[in-house]
Amino acid sequence: MSTRFASLGNLVKKQDLILNAVCLLFAAAFVVMALSNVRRAGNFFSIDSLFFTLVSLMLAGIFMIIPLMWAYETGLLRNLFAAEGDDAVGEAVPVHFEGTTKLFLSILGFLLLLTVIEVFLAYIQVPLALMLTILIGLSLIKAALILAYFMHLRYERMSLVYTLIPMLVICICLLFIFFPDSFRIFNLRNYR
Amino acid sequence: MTTHAHTAERLTADDWSGGTFPYHIGHKKLGMWLFIVSDALTFSALLIGYSYVRVSSDQWATPFAFSPSILFSTSMTLCLLASSFTMVMAVAASARRDRRKARRWIGATMLGGLTFLALHIYEWLHLIEEGLRPFGLAQGSAFAKEWTERWPQASPLFGATFFAITGLHMFHVLTGVIYLGYIALRIRRKTHEDVEISGLYWHFVDLVWMFVFPLIYLLSVDFHPAVH
Repeated sequence: MSTRFASLGNLVKKQDLILNAVCLLFAAAFVVMALSNVRRAGNFFSIDSLFFTLVSLMLAGIFMIIPLMWAYETGLLRNLFAAEGDDAVGEAVPVHFEGTTKLFLSILGFLLLLTVIEVFLAYIQVPLALMLTILIGLSLIKAALILAYFMHLRYERMSLVYTLIPMLVICICLLFIFFPDSFRIFNLRNYR
Repeated sequence: MTTHAHTAERLTADDWSGGTFPYHIGHKKLGMWLFIVSDALTFSALLIGYSYVRVSSDQWATPFAFSPSILFSTSMTLCLLASSFTMVMAVAASARRDRRKARRWIGATMLGGLTFLALHIYEWLHLIEEGLRPFGLAQGSAFAKEWTERWPQASPLFGATFFAITGLHMFHVLTGVIYLGYIALRIRRKTHEDVEISGLYWHFVDLVWMFVFPLIYLLSVDFHPAVH
């Protein structure tokens, strides 16, 4: 008995879905028509153009009524966008969060300070090689602050840090292997 | 599910013998971390390729005047930094199970991201209007003469590196805003870990900009801007 009801329920759901899909398709088609009219019309603010756009949009709205009413009646609208409620799935791992607003504000302050120093260096025109060294150094400090506090890596297990960070650093260092060649090309130009 | 994981954890003595979370984080979060590492490699490869071209070229176009270009991109940086802070506040609120507040902070984060996007697109349009193209400097515009006079031998790759690197970053910001929007809308169905994972992604986008901003902008400052 219950299986019969279940299959009936499925059937109703399927019909609902097909009806809603067809309605949404028509609504979308009318919206596309309105948009293409906006694009093609030489003078958009002419009576013909405005009339055609308005009629298309109105038809799209009419076709949207059925899906919206369905969503409202099944409680989909309320459930989908609600912030309150307790039906979230259980946490696989217990919530672990450290850090206070004061800490995060001071980290933000540090990041802003380092950014201001970088911009100031650009303002006073430091020689390029020195500029590059300082900029990379400051950026690495900023990256470390973001990783450690904003991305919470400081409070995670060291095993995670050891898995993620060394391989990243090694791969990036490997990329530097090509740089001697760029100096070679630079010097070739100067000898010519 | 919760009890299952914890019983397994109590039963096995060793973290690495299976049946437990060896990093003490969930699978989704570990997945996001691994994605972030691979994405970081993509960006570092691009930035190092840019540095290679830069070092090997004799001349390089430096079209960013301190005012307004650098100040403009600095304000973009501030937008991203502020949004990173609001994101961490969202994660903190979500850890306290305060979903309503978490959603508000995520909204503030999205606002910061959207402001960044708007400013960035404005800047792109300005540069395109000046005639900057991916494989050519100032072609067929009023600025063409000035550019060719000032940097006659300059590598045409300025546009390619600029548009590729900032474009890829912009795409990350855009997907980040969409991702955060989805998390904010469905926050009732999401666990704290889901919010935290979206935060990880957002902070990563901020972190990448901390390298893009000095390397692309601050190293291309125009010290002798032409007077118009």
